[in-house]
Amino acid sequence: MMRTIEILIVIIIITGAFIAASFFAVLPWPRQVSPVNLRRLAFTTLQMLDSDYELSRAAFETENYTIWGGLQVALSASLPPNVIYNLTVYEVTGETTQLYTFIDSMSNAESLGATSDASSYMVASSNVTFNVIPEKIGEHGGNGGTLYILNCSDAPGWWITGYTAHSLAQDLYNLLSPYFFNTVMVQNTAQLGQILGNTSLLGETVQNAVVINTCGEAVPIPTAYCTTPYSNDNYAYYNWFIGQRVRLYNWTWASIVGYPFYYVSNIGSFSGQNDWGIYGMKAVYAAGLNSFLRGLNGQGYVTDNIGWITSELTSVPLSADAIYYSNYYGIYPAAYQTATRALPVGITTTYNLAVTSSLFDPVSGYRAGAVYRNDVSGGFLALGLTRTPDIRLTVLGLLSEFKPRLYNSEYSANGTSRIVVLQLGLVGGT
Amino acid sequence: MVSSTVDHMIAVTVFLAATLLFIGLFNQTIQTAVVYQRHRATATKASDLLDSMLLSPGIPVNWGQTDVNLTGFGLQDPEFTQYKISPFSLMRLQSSVGEPLFYNPTGMYYSNVTIEGRNFMLVPYNLTLDYSTVTRLLGINNTYGFQLTLTPIVTVSIQETHASGPLTLSLTASGVGFPLSRATVSYCFLKVKASGGQSSPSYTILFDSITTDETGSATINFADVAAGDSYVFIAYARLSGLIGIGYHERSLDDERYLIPLVGSIEDGLVLIAHSYDVHYFGPPESAVFFNATYVLLTEDFTLREMPLTMEKTKVVYGGGSDQTFENVTIPTHNPGILILTYNSNNGQGVVMMPWGISTLAFPVVFGGDPAKQEWVATDMRQVTVGGIAYQAKIAVWSLEGYQVIG
Repeated sequence: MMRTIEILIVIIIITGAFIAASFFAVLPWPRQVSPVNLRRLAFTTLQMLDSDYELSRAAFETENYTIWGGLQVALSASLPPNVIYNLTVYEVTGETTQLYTFIDSMSNAESLGATSDASSYMVASSNVTFNVIPEKIGEHGGNGGTLYILNCSDAPGWWITGYTAHSLAQDLYNLLSPYFFNTVMVQNTAQLGQILGNTSLLGETVQNAVVINTCGEAVPIPTAYCTTPYSNDNYAYYNWFIGQRVRLYNWTWASIVGYPFYYVSNIGSFSGQNDWGIYGMKAVYAAGLNSFLRGLNGQGYVTDNIGWITSELTSVPLSADAIYYSNYYGIYPAAYQTATRALPVGITTTYNLAVTSSLFDPVSGYRAGAVYRNDVSGGFLALGLTRTPDIRLTVLGLLSEFKPRLYNSEYSANGTSRIVVLQLGLVGGT
Repeated sequence: MVSSTVDHMIAVTVFLAATLLFIGLFNQTIQTAVVYQRHRATATKASDLLDSMLLSPGIPVNWGQTDVNLTGFGLQDPEFTQYKISPFSLMRLQSSVGEPLFYNPTGMYYSNVTIEGRNFMLVPYNLTLDYSTVTRLLGINNTYGFQLTLTPIVTVSIQETHASGPLTLSLTASGVGFPLSRATVSYCFLKVKASGGQSSPSYTILFDSITTDETGSATINFADVAAGDSYVFIAYARLSGLIGIGYHERSLDDERYLIPLVGSIEDGLVLIAHSYDVHYFGPPESAVFFNATYVLLTEDFTLREMPLTMEKTKVVYGGGSDQTFENVTIPTHNPGILILTYNSNNGQGVVMMPWGISTLAFPVVFGGDPAKQEWVATDMRQVTVGGIAYQAKIAVWSLEGYQVIG
């Protein structure tokens, strides 16, 4: 009998242990197993309502009953029927001990129940001016520092139809000068001659500069270079010489449209026209580009026997990288372009070039626009697109090559920012 | 001695019975906790999966606007951040609910999202992503199953309350159980001009806007519409960042009409097929003549027409010397609506196809069937697709099983 009593005592102890364990091993409510993520729901609701800045507008016009009421209707209409809400707007003051000041609130229930969660969303007044300070190219070493824009008044352009070299230069100045230490407008071919001779125009650094040719398919030529040996082979030698200078000074030469180095231009030196009625230029033909690439590659000058190397691509989309930098720098050229002078991908092996930044992905063995950089020194941005030029692509090509960072300024100034807090709760169920 | 033995036997028996009972009870508690943890893990996975789909554009980022195969899955619009979804990426998801359609002249099956009978979204299977491919791209094949649903938040329902002289349309805009009062409604009204059975129909198009009343309703009258006229009415309702779409059309020939099939998303190519060629109603039938236009929702929330150029405007059923289908090219990747007005011997009509799934507020259902699963975790987000407000829901279940002993 004693054994049975002992066992009963053991059973009582184990039962007590089980009850105690059950008491502490409290399992959560079924709702907590897979809860509606109210925080994310609140955040995405605020984002959706602010998709065209209507929420920002309402947060700053809480006394406007039409806008404030519209927001309440939109909030009620967008949330599931079993979700109740409380939306509160706070002013970000920052000047007193109280960081946030209550402005207004709206709700569709007296209380949000036991289960609720909230998200906050910062909105800015439409009066706020956002200031962006760009990093200067070359600030941390490497390429760049000086931007030369060829704005030569004595050199006509070709394939820049609808623009003048001067207007393109002005647009380039406005878009790119914030990214460079020095931006120098090369006003005539004589000044071009100076920088080709490593002579600074305004005290800037000639080495590692970016040179943009705004004359399209034509390249300005200083009068001093309109003689032998530069005039050899219809001035193909001059283009070889430019390639050599690009390599020597580690320049990045930008050709904005069409077939690069197809003409040389100087109103004072050339009396003839280019068969299309533009005086002051001389056709170098395809030899100009081939000679330039040889010069860039450090090869000696030879009379060109390669000829035409580009191809036509009807419609080329911007590359993924170009789209990314387009968004980053806020420069939006058309996503599809027509390329009639796309360079073959094979030039990279022929002239020891590497594609360091590609605006367009290669199509059928040709690339419509990219920055090529020689293994030793010097770079070349070639945009083989058809006329008329879109100068934004040149800007995008250079920015995506040098990748200067943008520093956004602080915008939480007093009275310009408000915080919208959306608290959501669930009704019904357990 | 005997009583001692009996005492021992009873005690041992009771002890063993009690031990087994308590092992069972403790086991049950532990198993419940284990199942809870597994359910909890599935719920966390649901939230993670939904965010990874909605906050990544995929690889390549513009895969929705091309015909290429992708190497990373994501639905975010590559031109935006946050929960903004690409209407073209959604076009390339193979619908889980629509009956696939086989079109003999191309020899291909088409993923089918067809709304209200005449508004089509038919994308060839070779351009769509199927469920198993996406689970592999997400790295959840054989571990989790899911179904992704995107439903428009705003419903704009349109009823014809008076057929002619004037045509009266009653419009009601509402959100999820709440009317969209004082909402601005931009609309487009396209009326087909009858021109006989053997020529392409012309059309007139009208753009305007109105405001809904306190109940989210509005009434619009069109004076110059007869009972025998075909038309389509498209309305965009917007209020404080919330945008929804509704449409209504009247067609006179319900048998001979046009069915648009996506040919290439990258090139904007749409094949225009004769309805008899798709549904095989019977012997050769009369040709259908058509006209195509494209309507865009602009950034200022007004609608704008973009005329399309076509070489031929006639489709026949039964082959012969004529082509079985015709091509129309949409020259833009801005989301819009392809409107096809048609004319046959038996009357005129209109069919529509969204270019970018959001422009006609088409819902999206993609993935497996959660109905047969033991336990399903769900989560949701509010998103915009091409500017239109949608609710994205995901249902996730484990494929590894929860069966435990006991």
